[in-house]
Amino acid sequence: MLDLHAVTAGYDRRAPVFRDASLTLAPGESVGLLGPSGCGKSTLARVAALLHRPDSGRLTLDGEEVRGWRHRAPRRLRTAVGVVFQQPRLSADPRLTLHDLIAEPLRATGRRTEAPDRVAELAAAVGLTGDLLTRRPHEVSDGQLQRACLARALVLRPRWLVCDEMTAMLDASTTAALVAAVEEYRTAHGAGLLAVGHDRVLLERWCDRTLEWTDCAKPAA
Amino acid sequence: MADLTLTKDAPSRTWRSHGRTRRSTRTVRVAASAVIAAATVLAVLIVPPVVQLDEQAIDLALKLRPPSLAHPFGTDDVGRDLLLRCVYGLRVSLLVGLVAALVATVIGTAVGAAAAAFGGWTDRIVMRLVDTFSSVPHLLLGIFIVAMFRPGVWPVIVSVALTHWLSTARIVRSEVLSLRSRPFVDAAVSGGASRWRVTARHLLPAVLPQAGLAAVLMVPHAMWHESALSFLGLGLPTHQASLGTLVQTARGSLLAGDWWPTLFPGLFLIVPTLAIAGLAGAWRERINPRRRSELML
Amino acid sequence: MTPATTVPPSATPVLSVRDLSVRFRMRGGRHIAAVTGASFDLAAGQCLALVGESGCGKSVLASALLGLLPGNAQTAGTALLHGEAAADDAVDLLTASERTLARTVRGRRIGLVPQSPAAHLTPVRTVRGQLAETLRELNRTPRSALPAAVRAAADRAAFPAELLDRYPHELSGGLAQRAATALALVGGAPLLLADEPTTGLDRDLVDRTADELRRHADDGRALLMITHDLAAAQRIADRVAVMYAGRIVELTDAAGFFGTPGPRHPYARGLLAALPERDFRPIPGLPPELGDLPGGCAFAPRCPRATDRCASAPVLADGVACHHAEEPVRA
Repeated sequence: MLDLHAVTAGYDRRAPVFRDASLTLAPGESVGLLGPSGCGKSTLARVAALLHRPDSGRLTLDGEEVRGWRHRAPRRLRTAVGVVFQQPRLSADPRLTLHDLIAEPLRATGRRTEAPDRVAELAAAVGLTGDLLTRRPHEVSDGQLQRACLARALVLRPRWLVCDEMTAMLDASTTAALVAAVEEYRTAHGAGLLAVGHDRVLLERWCDRTLEWTDCAKPAA
Repeated sequence: MADLTLTKDAPSRTWRSHGRTRRSTRTVRVAASAVIAAATVLAVLIVPPVVQLDEQAIDLALKLRPPSLAHPFGTDDVGRDLLLRCVYGLRVSLLVGLVAALVATVIGTAVGAAAAAFGGWTDRIVMRLVDTFSSVPHLLLGIFIVAMFRPGVWPVIVSVALTHWLSTARIVRSEVLSLRSRPFVDAAVSGGASRWRVTARHLLPAVLPQAGLAAVLMVPHAMWHESALSFLGLGLPTHQASLGTLVQTARGSLLAGDWWPTLFPGLFLIVPTLAIAGLAGAWRERINPRRRSELML
Repeated sequence: MTPATTVPPSATPVLSVRDLSVRFRMRGGRHIAAVTGASFDLAAGQCLALVGESGCGKSVLASALLGLLPGNAQTAGTALLHGEAAADDAVDLLTASERTLARTVRGRRIGLVPQSPAAHLTPVRTVRGQLAETLRELNRTPRSALPAAVRAAADRAAFPAELLDRYPHELSGGLAQRAATALALVGGAPLLLADEPTTGLDRDLVDRTADELRRHADDGRALLMITHDLAAAQRIADRVAVMYAGRIVELTDAAGFFGTPGPRHPYARGLLAALPERDFRPIPGLPPELGDLPGGCAFAPRCPRATDRCASAPVLADGVACHHAEEPVRA
């Protein structure tokens, strides 16, 4: 269960981006959240991924209330949620090869020995070939980089996935490939999914149910 | 022009280049800077041990001779060979410049990165301190520091280093702050990376080119600073040749119309520092992210 | 939804591109073939959508037409921009000097609708200020006539007159896009070049932007739209060119492409089938490296129909470059 209750968040306490957003995901469920750009859905996604501390409200993850965000959150909770962002160029450390990019969470959590097997397995799952893994982000296309970012989000086997406009910059075929990779992972591991985006056709095809942003949050005054 | 090796299937094409000509002048500038900088380093490294001449050899019979074949830069007011004095002086100035820039960069990077990584009150207090120090003119602060010690190379290095880390700290802090809000840091946090790991693995390596550039640009600055202190009589003892002391002792003869004892040390200060700045400029263009995306794929 | 495809073919196209190729010189004497042998015509009142995935060379093609290639690029072929009167005032965009391009082509004969309007507009000037400056520069509009001309220019791109005094950061994505479009239209350029005009916009905004661009084509301009967004292309294009690995692999009428009989090139079929409103099934594999293209058909390794014949590169004939293209259905 991933439960957001009455969350108000923003970047300035006096002017939050949205107020009182509530959203509940059952284990293994996939929910699409539809909203226009600038409405605050990306901020909500960051709250759900424990990356942004809300001004008020509660986040409960598998029955455990989250009391700290970012580095203040216990590592076990942080890594329970995998996250993929809209712009692969900005979400990849430009100095790491794709292999290191995918393996980085394993190294950061002291599971370095698993890296070779796990990276090979995930690269195959997201459709990256061996030669690409030795390159750095500026040597691959947006689509290839986003595949690596998805692999990185899956490498710690999270119970929840948050995809914030994951495919907004990508062509139809890459979009379909990434969605297929996410669904394959979810089927194998029973992970829940919060997919945030503005493409209704895509989210309705992808997710168990879709929500309008206006159904779950009030815009800030 | 036509290239048939890669386009086997296509008819031979006539390729037109669209390169700009600006590139060549830049190459010349960089090459000149590199040659001068390399010559400088070689001169100060090789000449003293190989030539084994005594820069302090006094010959009062030869005092204040204009440039000649035997003494290409002339001699000073006690008949010492100025070319040799300049090389020794450059050696000292370069040593001070390099060590001071290195120390200042290490301090600046550590302080700037720590301030940005911890944020909050740490950041505020540290940066206010930096502002306070910056508001005092460098030279004044430097004079204050050297005045506490006996004249010598190390007090000068300490003085220059302690006054120059401030700008590096600012540069590094603002770089780290702007990087910290990038999604790739979010992704690292989400991947379980500790605060320390985010700083050491993702943030610091990304600012090191900037810090390195600041360090290289600081070498000429530190050399000038050393010269200024020595010129004021607060840096090195007068008998020890540095570019600053050379100009200082030659001041008197300049009034008498003898131009060479001030001109050549001055050139020895200006030309190598310009060369170092030229190399730093080329490096800045290299690490500029815009250049990386030059290939539009 | 799909606009009428019966655009009367003009006597001379506004833009005719023949065998345009662009490659980049890399370190060690390697070359990257970003665009290879692209040929197409574009007439007034017509919209051509150039579609393909990121890195297929479509943005490089646009930069080549604008003379904005980086220093390590080499070009071949011709891209003639025809004038309205005689054939002799045609400019070859690939060989024209930077001076000619800056003074007579960009803004005056080609208007650019940029990918990220927010970055295209000057952040320190209001929309009114930027429009006025562009009008003075391109049309030599006298100072007294400026206020009216600015309003007219804003109106043409449906930019609300009461928001003219806003700065770019005070505009929403859609309004910034309209402001950038208004700037592109100022010079009355007969050719509009839209480079990914809908990236990052919401669906509603995509539709609106597309409809507005379509309107400018209906006003008699030629519109070249470069996009990876097939829905936007379907909404406005008369003709579609599909690019794969630097080559145009299919060039056909939009109605037939998106409707029946559908695309004829296997790659184009796969791309359409991958849409969430269709099969939502990806094309297997990854596009090839432009620096290391296979000798024959670049799509063959991913193609369900590939045979031995695909070892030789197919040429674009009858609108499709494939040895095993779907046969066109003849009524």
